[in-house]
Amino acid sequence: MKTVLAQLALLACVAGAGAAWAQVPAAAVPSNTTPTGGERSISDWLMRMHEASRRRTYMGTFVVSSAAGNLSSARIWHACDGVQQMERVESLTGAPRSTFRRNDHVVTFLPDSKVVHTERRESLGLFPSLLKSSETTIPEFYAAQVTGSERVAGFDADIVQLNPRDNLRFGYRIWSEKKSGLVVKLQTLDADGQVIEQAAFSELQLDAPVKMDKLAQMMANTDGYKVHRADPVKTTAEAQGWVLKTPVAGFKSMGCYKRPPAGGGRDDTVQWIFSDGLASVSLFVQAYDRQRHAQELMLSMGATQTLARRLADKGGDWWLTVVGEVPPQTLKAFAQSLERRK
Amino acid sequence: MEKMSNMDEMVSALADGELHGEAFARAMDALATDAHARESWHAYHLVGDVLRSAELASPSSGTDFVARFRARLQDDPTAVPAVPVGLPVHDDRDAPSRVAAGSVPANAPGFGWPLLAGVASLTAVAAIAWNILGGSAGAPPAAAELAQAAPQPLRQMQAESSRPVMIRDARLDELLAAHRQAGGASALQMPAGFLRNATFESPGR
Repeated sequence: MKTVLAQLALLACVAGAGAAWAQVPAAAVPSNTTPTGGERSISDWLMRMHEASRRRTYMGTFVVSSAAGNLSSARIWHACDGVQQMERVESLTGAPRSTFRRNDHVVTFLPDSKVVHTERRESLGLFPSLLKSSETTIPEFYAAQVTGSERVAGFDADIVQLNPRDNLRFGYRIWSEKKSGLVVKLQTLDADGQVIEQAAFSELQLDAPVKMDKLAQMMANTDGYKVHRADPVKTTAEAQGWVLKTPVAGFKSMGCYKRPPAGGGRDDTVQWIFSDGLASVSLFVQAYDRQRHAQELMLSMGATQTLARRLADKGGDWWLTVVGEVPPQTLKAFAQSLERRK
Repeated sequence: MEKMSNMDEMVSALADGELHGEAFARAMDALATDAHARESWHAYHLVGDVLRSAELASPSSGTDFVARFRARLQDDPTAVPAVPVGLPVHDDRDAPSRVAAGSVPANAPGFGWPLLAGVASLTAVAAIAWNILGGSAGAPPAAAELAQAAPQPLRQMQAESSRPVMIRDARLDELLAAHRQAGGASALQMPAGFLRNATFESPGR
């Protein structure tokens, strides 16, 4: 408990300087900076960052904060052996939970309710192919620029800024540890260059002795827990009767899933996932229920934006919830473009 | 002004279940007759509820009373206008924290706590971005209107302030969690994104 408080106190200082980090962006990025690491393309940078997490073992304290001042933090253990990656994330804020990941298999323990959620996150494995593919459109929609270097959690890091080329996505500022490339800090920036969310290691031990077999043991130990398997059923938007009239620039369909009824509802929820390579958007469609779907809304939590609205349809109305780490206008574009074809 | 402040303290104490006997009766009387007191009451609960998720709410001596009182308020459609909410929350350790809110519909019938994102703050200013896209509740209050509303004293912010964003609605929780799981589709979501999501997420209960 003391550690948590100490961390929070530390963070309070960081966030207290918060007005500062919220203001910095515009000033910190002179428009005519010549990038020092200019030889690396945006794909090179992203690949380097990704590879770092596949090759290095580390442990540390990870903190996510939003411009509004919310703080979440977790203790992280990461191990890898070249083939497999394992991770343990132990929350330090909010309800206690432990998340374990072995490649694309994720297990979340909720000690309060003695429930463990286990699922395969197929998409976690997609990333390298996404970048290697000649079809990657990331450079069409973002430009990378090295803006300097800074120490984060005791490590020298390059600061790489990814600027969106249109207003349909957020920008990012990434601190990439100089030797390994590991992402040690990540800021999400709105159109004005204001930081809306920040995720960073407040403390990090690279090449720490994290034992993979020990993590595996903990991950497998579900004794005393009720195991919930959530494996969404793969489907297609077309099969579910949905189509986007107008594509949203840069966003490609990454898959469509049917999820079992959420929160006591009777009907399946269809989740249609889009990504532009960096940001992702989920469209959730459920049969409209007057009682459960009262309020149309738009809300913002750090980088995550949510829009909920009713879709009128002659065969019965629908309730659409669009969630994504993108500006509100992007969610609106999706909402306006979604059409029933059935 | 002093009267206002006393009133707010009284309402705050009432909400905490600290008032008994005559003080209790006085506070009830104030709530029944004084719109400002009612507003404090709503603001106080709004912020308190927002800061707690259901799973974190711990029963206290005051909660039974609060629950009954809330139920009564919900039965009284005239007590609360159904207007959406936006509240900048300030927190400085010495002075009582303050919340500026419009006509706060914490217990509005039909409002039902839909999808309310709460924001706890360790910084000087926290704000909830909150828009209603033409709901049935009528026109949303302008930001200026919210900002002008009288600040209400608010206590116990510090104790709660380490909480991550809370969504009162378990169904939205589930959708957010599902979205985060799919977030792996994105380059940045890996690995920092996974850590971000695992750190940030509050899985459905």
